[in-house]
Order: sequence, then structure tokens, then C-alpha cells
Amino acid sequence: MEPTRMKHQPFCIIKNLQVSFHGRTVLQKINLTLSDSGIVVLVGPSGSGKTTFLRTLNRLNEHYPGYSGSGKIELKLPGSMQDIQDIHSTDLEVTELRRQVGMVFQTPNVLPVSIAQNINLPLKLVTGLDKVEREARLIEVLQEVHLWDEVKDRLKESSSRLSGGQQQRLCLARVLALKPKVLLLDEPTASLDFKASHRIEDLLIELQDRYQIIAVSHSLRQARRIAGQILVMKEGEIEHLLKKEQFEDLEMLQKLLDEIF
Amino acid sequence: MNRLLNFGVYCWSWIATLGVFLVVGLLLSYLLAQGLPTIGKELFFGDAPAWEAIFGQVRVWDALWPACVGTLFLVLLATLLAVPIGISSGIYLACFAPKSFKRVLSLLVELLAGTPSIVMGLFGFAFILFLRNTFFPDANTSLLLAAACLALLILPYLIFTTQAALESLSDEYRLIGPSLGFSQIQTVFHVLLPAAGRGILSGVVLSIGRAAEDTAVIMLTGVIANAGLPQGLFGKFEALPFRIFYLAAEYQTPAELDSAYGTALVLLCLTGMLYGGALALHKTLELRWNQHG
Repeated sequence: MEPTRMKHQPFCIIKNLQVSFHGRTVLQKINLTLSDSGIVVLVGPSGSGKTTFLRTLNRLNEHYPGYSGSGKIELKLPGSMQDIQDIHSTDLEVTELRRQVGMVFQTPNVLPVSIAQNINLPLKLVTGLDKVEREARLIEVLQEVHLWDEVKDRLKESSSRLSGGQQQRLCLARVLALKPKVLLLDEPTASLDFKASHRIEDLLIELQDRYQIIAVSHSLRQARRIAGQILVMKEGEIEHLLKKEQFEDLEMLQKLLDEIF
Repeated sequence: MNRLLNFGVYCWSWIATLGVFLVVGLLLSYLLAQGLPTIGKELFFGDAPAWEAIFGQVRVWDALWPACVGTLFLVLLATLLAVPIGISSGIYLACFAPKSFKRVLSLLVELLAGTPSIVMGLFGFAFILFLRNTFFPDANTSLLLAAACLALLILPYLIFTTQAALESLSDEYRLIGPSLGFSQIQTVFHVLLPAAGRGILSGVVLSIGRAAEDTAVIMLTGVIANAGLPQGLFGKFEALPFRIFYLAAEYQTPAELDSAYGTALVLLCLTGMLYGGALALHKTLELRWNQHG
């Protein structure tokens, strides 16, 4: 288990971030310093750029047609703050960045292979661990996401036979197996029912001491439950960065959000 | 009105599906009725003793065996030449090609797909003439030339099906690889290609069928009626579709025409076996991807 990180230190500094697709601006004028004070939850109306913002942190936007971006993003990765957009940096290749900044998508997207292979394949390709180490890591992460007891007897079964909530936890385990420092979660409970959502939320609260988590959420209830800080976005800009004491009172938060939107 | 239309469409789909079954059923039963009685040792080996004929120790005259071996070699060789190039081109078009270049390339592949097979044969024939007049006076039409021309013919099927199978994968699925830190090559080979396997397999099956049945290409590039077993890559060969063609065109007795039906049946079975082989190969690869860490 990793030691608890230094609290309240900045882990993400963004300067003048601007992103557009096919010339249409999606993110603009983003200047932000995020500190290590629990889960960061992004809220805002659809189309406000939440997912795009998340994808700037692992440079996944570059896989979308028509992308262009400018600005500077520094993330605290092992060692020190590193400029993640510096493609000439030999210290941090984009594949290594994406290993350290793991991402879980809105709908569970397991590979159409066995449960074990979903975790084994990335481990084999990215980390180069041998078979024994991979098996140990597999058990470790499945326990970490509380899936081990449910799947330990059917690791060779197809992952598509798991329920939605189980698949999403498998996706999370797949990312955790690569030992990331930061976790990006794009509405991870959007396609799940209430019970499965609650389970994932509990899990995130549990994991927040070990990983820096940034999540997009569509529900204010969820945001308040898991967040250490809430980032409010509107029309591609950051409107507010709310600290815990600012959103503990639901009425105050609702009033604030009504003012913004 | 709407309900009537729905009912009409429903009925029409039923009739159309039934029609396909009927046509295929009729064809098959006619072929079986005419061809099955001729199937036997004599159809395959003529007067020659079977075991010696199979291993090429005695020459087989006026029978199927050399054509079976010829077609099998021809199809395997053509597929072996076309599959790596076709699938790689499909991967390039779907995953790597810049947009403008992709348009040009797709146009070229469409052009290739639209080329009649006789032109492909003519191209092979002209190529041999060119070689004879320039560097290799001894060059001649052969198994390798015919297979290469057939490979050109089936290349577009492989390219299109591979490209379509890869492009039909969802955006979210394509992002699994990159989001986990895979390189582009790793994503293509370990995530995208296996998921597109079924589509690619259908392209391979389609091209096997096309290579097995084509007569126009091989007529100009090396098939002859009585070549015996193929004598290496640069030798002449016999082939089942060509045998069907000349038996049907130049039969002397009704029995000869019947043996053409028998030959057609054998060609059908041989193609079926090759499909089976492709399917088994796909299953093995899929299983390996599924289970092995």
C-alpha cells in the first residue's frame, strides 16, 4: 500500500489552456491550480467542456479529429511537477503519461476477452511484469475494487457476462493495475443503477488517499458526497472552484449554482 | 395504411429470404442429383491406382485429382500472397492513413475491385510477354503467375473488409488502448484487430471463394487441361473451375457432362473445406487472445 500523500500541496497547475476541435473552441482561458485536498469533481451543464478538460490531463484529446490546443499543464508525477504537453520531453512519453494518469470512461468498456485477460493484457504490454508478478497484481487490484470474491472462480469467463457495475469496477481495476498516480473518471456511474453507483462512490472515497482522483459527475448529490473540491464549468471556462465548506450546505450550493447557470 | 405497409414489408422480406433458400436449395439438389452418382474412384483417378496417383507416382489422365491439387495449391498460394498485403493495407487505411491520401488510396482500391478478372489475366499474360522480350526469354505462364494475378483480384475484398471491420469499432473502444498507455501499434494488434477478427475472417472467406472459382484469370496465366499434378511454382497446372468449363463446353458423351457436375460438387466441397480451415484458424487466434496472459 502506498503512503498517504502530502495534503494541500498543488498537484496540477494549468496556465492559459485553450482547446478547440475543427476551429470550434471547447475550452478557453483556463488558469487553475488544483491542490491535493480530496477528490476533485467537475460539474456543469452538458457541452460545458468537462470531458474535454479531463482528457487534456492524459492528452487523449489528441486522438480526436480536428484537435488543436495551447497552454501549459503541469502535473505532479513521481519526482516533481512535469509539463505533460512537452512532446519533446524524453522523460515523459505520452504512453508513460497515460499509464500514470489512468482513465475510466462513462460506459464500462471492457475488452471482449476473459475477466483475467482484461487486466493481464495491459499489464503484459505496458509494464513487462512476468507471469507470477502479473497474477499477484491481478489479485491485488481485484481485491482493491472489491471484485475478487465475486469473480475469483470465473476469471476465465468472458467479461461481458459481468453486470454493468461489475464491469465498471473491472475497468477501474484494469487502470489501477498499472499503478497510476492520478485517476480520471468520466461520469463513471452514468450508466449504472442507484445501488451500483453507490458502490462505486464508496470505492472512490476509499481510494482517494492512494490516488489523486478527478471525476466528472452529472449529479450534485454524488458530487457533494465524494468531493473534496468542486470545479464548476460553464461554456468551456472554469466558473468556480468550491472548497468543501462552500458546498456542505446544500441550500447555499444550490443558490450558487442557480446564480451561475 | 401504416400497418398495411408494415405488413407488406414484412411479407416481402419473408418472400425474399425464402427465395434465397429456394434458389440455393434447387441449385444444390440439382448438382447433387447430377453429380453425386459420378463421384467415385474413377472420377478422381481414372484408370490409375488411387494410392500411387495420390502421391504422384503414376500419371492420372482424364480425372479430377490433378485439378483438385492444382486448385488447392492455387487458392492457398493466392491467399498467402494476398492476405498479408490486403489486411495490412486495410489496417493502414483504417488506422494510419492521412485523410487526403486515404481518399486517393480508396479510389485506387475501388478501381482494382472494379477490374474484370479477364483483364487481370490479360495483365499477367502481357507481363510474361514483356519478361520474355526483355530479361527472361524462358519466362512462361505458371502456377505462381496465376496465383499472383488471382491475389490481385481478391486484394480489394480483403482491404475493404479489414478497413470496414476496424472502422466499425466504436470510438470508446478505440480509446481503450491509448488510455491505458498502449502504443499505436500495440492498440492495433492487441485491441482493434482481434475485435475486428470476425469481419476480417468474412473477407478471407469471400476471397477464398473468389479465388477458387475464377476461370478467366487462370486461363491466360498457366492452366492447361492435362498438366498432371503441379510441378512446382513455375510449372503448369490443372484447376477444377477450368475443368468444369471445358467439360461443359466440349463434352463428347453425356457421361462427360455428368462428370462436370461431379467436378462442380467437388469444387464446392473443396471451397467448403478451405472455409472451415479459415474458421478454425480464426477460432484458435481468438482463443489465444482471450485466455493467455
